[in-house]
Amino acid sequence: MAEPKLVLPTMDAIRRWQGVAVPNAAARVGLADFEALIEALEALRGEMVFEEEPSGFEAALQACKDNQA
Amino acid sequence: MSPDALCELSMTDAADAFARGEVKAASLVDAMLHRLGQHEAKVNCLIRLDAEEARLAAHAADKARTEGTRPGPLAGVPMLHKDMYYRQGRVSTCGSKIRRDFVPSVTATVLKRLDAAGAIDCGTLNMAEFAQNPTGHNAHFGDCMNPWNAAHCTGGSSSGSGAAVAARFVTAALGSDTGGSIRLPAAMCGVTGLKPTQTRVPRTGVMPLSFSADNVGPLCRTARDAARFLSVTAGHCPGDPTSAREAVLDYEAALNGDIRGLRVAVIEPWFFDGIDTSVGLAFEAAIQVLQSLGARIEMISPASLKAVTTYTAIVSRVEGAAIHANWMRERPGDYATHLSARIYGGYAIPGTAYLEALSRRGALLRRFCDEALGRFDVVATPALRTRTPTRAETDIDADAQNWHRFMDLSANTRPFNYLGLPTVSVPAGFDDRGLPVGLQLAARPFGEARLLRVADAFQRETDWHKRNPLG
Repeated sequence: MAEPKLVLPTMDAIRRWQGVAVPNAAARVGLADFEALIEALEALRGEMVFEEEPSGFEAALQACKDNQA
Repeated sequence: MSPDALCELSMTDAADAFARGEVKAASLVDAMLHRLGQHEAKVNCLIRLDAEEARLAAHAADKARTEGTRPGPLAGVPMLHKDMYYRQGRVSTCGSKIRRDFVPSVTATVLKRLDAAGAIDCGTLNMAEFAQNPTGHNAHFGDCMNPWNAAHCTGGSSSGSGAAVAARFVTAALGSDTGGSIRLPAAMCGVTGLKPTQTRVPRTGVMPLSFSADNVGPLCRTARDAARFLSVTAGHCPGDPTSAREAVLDYEAALNGDIRGLRVAVIEPWFFDGIDTSVGLAFEAAIQVLQSLGARIEMISPASLKAVTTYTAIVSRVEGAAIHANWMRERPGDYATHLSARIYGGYAIPGTAYLEALSRRGALLRRFCDEALGRFDVVATPALRTRTPTRAETDIDADAQNWHRFMDLSANTRPFNYLGLPTVSVPAGFDDRGLPVGLQLAARPFGEARLLRVADAFQRETDWHKRNPLG
């Protein structure tokens, strides 16, 4: 199966941003998987709310906790 | 009691027998060492064995008990732990070449708590390199091998913990779980594995992989073992500001065997996508057991799962990539092929996608709890969709095309790390190749008492957790 077009430019971006070179063939197979992840993220666009922030998770753990155990 | 009979005891049975004066700690340690001598070459679960120190600690425990010192809840019980729990002055390899000689200057809070409870730390266990594979492959210390069949994976990343408990070397071992690393080896080796609620157990002195998703928990024989282990190890630690201040319960007290009226949600279709027939049959049989105990079962399909399963692929990969960036630049050849390949992908994910995944985590937890744990007490899924694979079938180092089989192993466990929910895997039968199958149960945050009550009730009715792969 042909390698998706995103693989080479992604490798270049990683090298420039992180200084990390592609380590092996398996890493390229893994990058090819990102086509599906990008599509999944596209499908979720618009769902994030302006006020959402990472610190909300601990509050949600408390809000949702099991009170009857 | 014979050495083999001592090795068959569960953790709680061994601790209680010691407390009653029926069993000596020295006998338990000797039985462990004898069994390791018999079978370890077939399992390769050890990285370090401190036999002499263990014997000395056992004699000290026996002396203290005969002198009338009140024993702790785990007194006299020998344990081995995943080699990523730091003990000051002792090498902690993290299953890697890079940290082969790393000597930490601190001791993990959970090790201190186990010490205080009287457990005897006998050494360290094999694991996936830097806790980052779901199979148990290890290029530096050799693959850990499944006691049920050495050709098959143990599951990872807590490979040695799953194998050591299944092989009856020890009754309990610390694992860690960022995407399934406790539950996968528990399922594949046929033992009980508990991933507590995110923040429930402190991570001070534990090798980091993903700040947001790392969890500390036990692999052990029974739900009762897991309950006592959790009561000993849970609770806030100032060294880990993220650890919860939630009260620690006597989780064992909740194990009354009564799940009449319990509402169980089976989530479909996502957790069953591509499921192997024999795994599906074992899961159905396990659900029927819960039903026979009075639980009410219903199928549901939470809409939030689509976002959860997407974001769960992002958070730990980005965090793991950031942690390993210096070594990936400076010594990439010191990682196994499968690990550097996996870490590398984390650099491709934009910061905005990572932040979106983290930012929506709280909202999605609330939504999932409304959809799946509002009307229901627990959710149930198979721990894996596939049969326990062979090591060859998932060996990326040998063939890059095994990538998908390797990565897909944790599909059913990862979502619960993103959601932060307490989740347990209990033995629930065997696949058509004779390897164990795991039943995964999850509850609301801090609902470990309810979760373990269900797991314990299941184990009162079944004997899968009592099956011994090595006789």
